[in-house]
Amino acid sequence: MSSNSESSSRIDPSFVPLMRSLALELAIYGPLVTLYFFIVLRTANDWLTSLYSTSSTAFALVSVILIVGQGAMLEMLTSWLLRRFGLRY
Amino acid sequence: MLFPISQVVINPLLLAIIGFVVGVLGGFFGVGGGFLAGPLMFWTGVPINFVVGTDLAHMTGKSIVAARRHRALGQVDLRLGTLMIFGTIPGIEVGAQLIERFEAIGNVEEVVGLSYVFILTSIGLFTAWESLRAIRIKRTDQLQVREVLGIQKLAYRSRLLRIPPLIRLRVSGVEEVSVWVILFVGALTGVLAGFLGVGGGFLRMPLLVYLIGVPTHVAVGTDLFEIMISAGFGTLTHALKGNVDILIALTMHTGAAIGAQVGAVMTRYFSGPIIRFLFSFLPLIAALLVLLRIAGLAGG
Repeated sequence: MSSNSESSSRIDPSFVPLMRSLALELAIYGPLVTLYFFIVLRTANDWLTSLYSTSSTAFALVSVILIVGQGAMLEMLTSWLLRRFGLRY
Repeated sequence: MLFPISQVVINPLLLAIIGFVVGVLGGFFGVGGGFLAGPLMFWTGVPINFVVGTDLAHMTGKSIVAARRHRALGQVDLRLGTLMIFGTIPGIEVGAQLIERFEAIGNVEEVVGLSYVFILTSIGLFTAWESLRAIRIKRTDQLQVREVLGIQKLAYRSRLLRIPPLIRLRVSGVEEVSVWVILFVGALTGVLAGFLGVGGGFLRMPLLVYLIGVPTHVAVGTDLFEIMISAGFGTLTHALKGNVDILIALTMHTGAAIGAQVGAVMTRYFSGPIIRFLFSFLPLIAALLVLLRIAGLAGG
């Protein structure tokens, strides 16, 4: 019993709220990222393919924008949603 | 699913899973993970000319996510990361020039491969030895701190180099260090990255810890900040050469973005020496993979 309470007192107090916050964030972020991917795939697939063969400069710029968008924009959107609803740890 | 840019059919779930695994490693160790993602992408059927560029593209997105998460945890030294870039970019160019020189002489594949194996094995063994020493010190002295170094000499000596300008790295807890030491670390990792064709995370993370005295957690976060910029630059140059399949990169990133966040948060619950000990296996695995490839080449 005492060892149990000892080990539970050793757990970082930030662990549970941080994990809860991460799980919640991933529950929002994961579907957003997947949705973004399918939207790009559905709407820009042909356009990207033709851009690839016609203009390498435009393709390079669009590629960077798309990956940065998926990385940064959606993460910011998730953070904003969590803050908006007061769910961020 | 058909990826029309590279003209290959690959299961997108498989790419997302690879992204997730590499993302966890990247977020936790502060590496790009190209040593693992590259061979795995090739194995799934991504054409070899698209492997490096596409990997860099997904690495850019993943590093943004992981670096932002590390920053929220107070584990990114922006001043250090920004200064290092000024050493890294010319360093990459010097490394690339070296490759061209060796290409002119011949046997570039073997020279680069063997240098890669030697450097990564040295880093892996040294980090393993040092981190085990640090873990022992932490246990023996019952230190309740996140960071202990098994070897203090290198960071101590680098601080004796008082060539102005000297700066303070507040986030890293470094009171005074010469800007030249930071530029040297950036340049050295840049040269090796350009020469060996790797992102440089393998080299930068230990150098930040041992040479500048940055705590492991901050070294991981700052390294990701650096990877974000160098991989972004690499994506642009590879895309200009037509070596990026952005749809494959976006697919991989769906998994990598989640993995990177998990990896970054995990660092909070491990001490510096434990992270370094686990990290020491990565360069050794990478060296083994290259050794196998060289053995394959030698065997024809």
